[in-house]
Amino acid sequence: MSKVKQQKPLCVWNPKPLKRVKPTNKKRLREREKTNPFSFLGQLIPLAKTGLPLWMLGLAADRLRADMNRLLSFLFHQGILDEQFLQLQQLQDETSPNFVSEVVNIYFHESEKLLRNLRSLLMDREFSDYNKMGIHLNQFMGSSSSIGAKRIRNVCLAFRAASDQNNRAGCLSALEVLEHEYCFLKNKLHELFQIQQQRVLAAGVRYPMQH
Amino acid sequence: MATMHRVVQSSVSTSDATTTSYGGLTSCKAADIVISDQFPAGLRVLVVDDDITCLKILEQMLHRCRYHVTTCPQAKVALNLLRERKGCFDVILSDVYMPDMDGYKLLEHVGLEMDLPVIMMSADGSTRAVMKGIRHGACDYLIKPIREEELKNIWQHVVRKKWNENKELEHSGSLDDTDQHKRGHDDAEYGSSANDATDTSLKPLKKRSNSKEGDDGEIDNDDPSTSKKPRVVWSVELHQQFVSAVNQLGIDKAVPKRILELMNVPGLTRENVASHLQKFRLYLKRISGVAQQGGIANPLCGPVEANVKIGSLGSFNIQPLAASGQIPPQTLAALHAELLGRPAGNLVVAMDQSALLQATPHGPKCIQVDHGVAFIQHLVKSESSSSKHFSQSFAPVEDVASGFRSWPSNNIDTAGPSNSGGLSTQNGNMLIDLLQQQQQLQKPQQRSTVSELRRSINVQPSCHVVPSQSSASFQAGNSPVSVTQNGSYSRTAVIDYNFLSSQSNCPSLNIGQVSDGNLQTTGVLSGHIPPASVSPSVSSCSVNADNCASQQVQTSSITAITFKASRRLPGFVHSTSNIPDPYGSTKSGDLLNQEPFNNLGYINKGTCLPAKFAVDEFQSHLNSSSHGKVFSENIGTRVKQEPSMEFGDNAKVGIPMLQQFPPNDLMSVFTE
Repeated sequence: MSKVKQQKPLCVWNPKPLKRVKPTNKKRLREREKTNPFSFLGQLIPLAKTGLPLWMLGLAADRLRADMNRLLSFLFHQGILDEQFLQLQQLQDETSPNFVSEVVNIYFHESEKLLRNLRSLLMDREFSDYNKMGIHLNQFMGSSSSIGAKRIRNVCLAFRAASDQNNRAGCLSALEVLEHEYCFLKNKLHELFQIQQQRVLAAGVRYPMQH
Repeated sequence: MATMHRVVQSSVSTSDATTTSYGGLTSCKAADIVISDQFPAGLRVLVVDDDITCLKILEQMLHRCRYHVTTCPQAKVALNLLRERKGCFDVILSDVYMPDMDGYKLLEHVGLEMDLPVIMMSADGSTRAVMKGIRHGACDYLIKPIREEELKNIWQHVVRKKWNENKELEHSGSLDDTDQHKRGHDDAEYGSSANDATDTSLKPLKKRSNSKEGDDGEIDNDDPSTSKKPRVVWSVELHQQFVSAVNQLGIDKAVPKRILELMNVPGLTRENVASHLQKFRLYLKRISGVAQQGGIANPLCGPVEANVKIGSLGSFNIQPLAASGQIPPQTLAALHAELLGRPAGNLVVAMDQSALLQATPHGPKCIQVDHGVAFIQHLVKSESSSSKHFSQSFAPVEDVASGFRSWPSNNIDTAGPSNSGGLSTQNGNMLIDLLQQQQQLQKPQQRSTVSELRRSINVQPSCHVVPSQSSASFQAGNSPVSVTQNGSYSRTAVIDYNFLSSQSNCPSLNIGQVSDGNLQTTGVLSGHIPPASVSPSVSSCSVNADNCASQQVQTSSITAITFKASRRLPGFVHSTSNIPDPYGSTKSGDLLNQEPFNNLGYINKGTCLPAKFAVDEFQSHLNSSSHGKVFSENIGTRVKQEPSMEFGDNAKVGIPMLQQFPPNDLMSVFTE
């Protein structure tokens, strides 16, 4: 049996590194299990046999957390999100554990409608009703700022300025930027939610020794 | 805020959690105010916003603040909810731009009917928008994104409002009664009329209008939640008495105490009179402001909010009248200008009637004064002959018209004085009837019927009805002619033709209510003017109306609009039949859509007062008698009116007058 030097396990409960069991025939495995002082970890052994040991999931959780933090700091640093998003996160608690993702999904759903309306309005040849567009834009701006999407809100401001001047070309270009920014934000937020989901899964793993 | 804090502290003493969560409240001597066991936690908030994202976020934030939250994505649904459960909400958070109803309209409705504090929200934080919100009576204006800290503070508006109401009712003078010109009077009288010992403690509070720095305002008596005295219902008779008293004293010298003595009404306190006087003065100011702005031709000019408010109020009243006929805003304005200096009594009376006459919110005010006087006379005459049904309101209109006819001969000058006399006597009945009608109309106004009325009454204060449009049905000739003529006649002409439409289809005259500043009216106009009849200019006007917040409505457009209105007369024939129905039913939906407030001056005017008094029921009959009843009923329902609501009397006055115009005589009138 070779003892593979493992990294220091992150799980405190496992003071000794798990022995990496070399895949052997079942007979040997059964023998080993009988003598193994860590027989209570029996379930882990098959895991270890097949692949990633359970304890490595703990590592994943850390990694996931690091990923999430990195992403968030990137978004904040780039000005894509602002402190309103933090407020949103603070609103999430035990009573509403998925608050942020729910709200953001609603936001995406509504925003797509608004963006589509804006585009159809602007693309219309006889477009003249800046007011109507302004109403859509106002709503989009309101929800974006409530989410904490700072960059989108800024683009909306520029859009509004162009609309006030009845500058159709300006509105069109602002709309392009808006759509681009929106897609970018959507991707990033989806990524964030994925990480968070994985974290939840990772945290769900319960090591037997863990209390 | 010490007082507030103390108050809150005492009330929340039972719930420490709540107090601690609201940072300014430190332990202080508990005032014996029992606002609620869990104040401010448990505050019942209604959030109205078409943006689901914000709605959800706000809901969560408000939950964090320990408030009871009800969300509603549609304004109409929210309004119905409020109406059904009147006592179930403490404060309302509403978005400004909503697809089904403008947030400002909702604001007005709520202020009129339920008198709850409303906080506006919007991503648009421009000064203009905020100003508009304030003018419409919003307690506060929040700019999105909204932070939780801001939401934690909304309870202050509830408390403030309750305290002000209580003080007004219970103590000598109310906090919100600290009108500048009244303060002198009030302060002098405070000592004498202090009802309780605590009044003295309230004096310092009183001196600060609505300020929360009341040092220690012993608010023991102020029990907003429990010991509210019953509101005084300013019925039509009462109001007339008030107005005549004020007239006697002179508007400048009218002091609550003396008014009270003159009125000699048992059970009425000086505070009631004081607050009513304050509102009356604000109303007058608004009218005069309107009159001065545009001169005779533009009675409508004036603060938009005034219009809005008046409109909403007046719309109720004016609708029935408006439907029957339209009094040209100009004439009304002219009259108003003349009568502006008249005793308030006339004004008041006139207001109701003129409200009818004037579609435009501005106009009516001015004209109301004048018209009021004349109207009242006419109203009295016409009342007897006026039918009770809305559709028959035209009859009264015709009467009004006839009265109007004779009115010019009266001169405005005479109208005033004579009115004052007549007002007090005749008005009593006529006015009440008219008011009732108006009230009834008001209600409908809010409903779809209002829209119809509005159409008819969209009298543009400044616009001169363009003859071209004048449909044959309405003896358009009147309007254009009158329009060009300066002075009251032009206005009346405009209106007249509307009313003149002998057939009762007048009501829908959409006289260009486009008041200059009155976005809403214009909006309304556009809303109501049937495309077919809308002349290009008119349509453009309506567009302007819709959008503009500015107060300049091109006269041409206005006239066009008026024309449209006149044109609509024929169209309105059919609508008239509907009018009675709407009153009965709630066409709130329709009305709401149509921005009743825009409507017309008459809306503002007539409905101002009566509207405030909650048009809770509208009966379809327009006639003056019904108006009167409605009005009184309405008044009963709401005594407390926000100052901005101004007296709907004007509106009412206008309407009756309008009704008296005989269709045929308008021409003659105008030519004079």
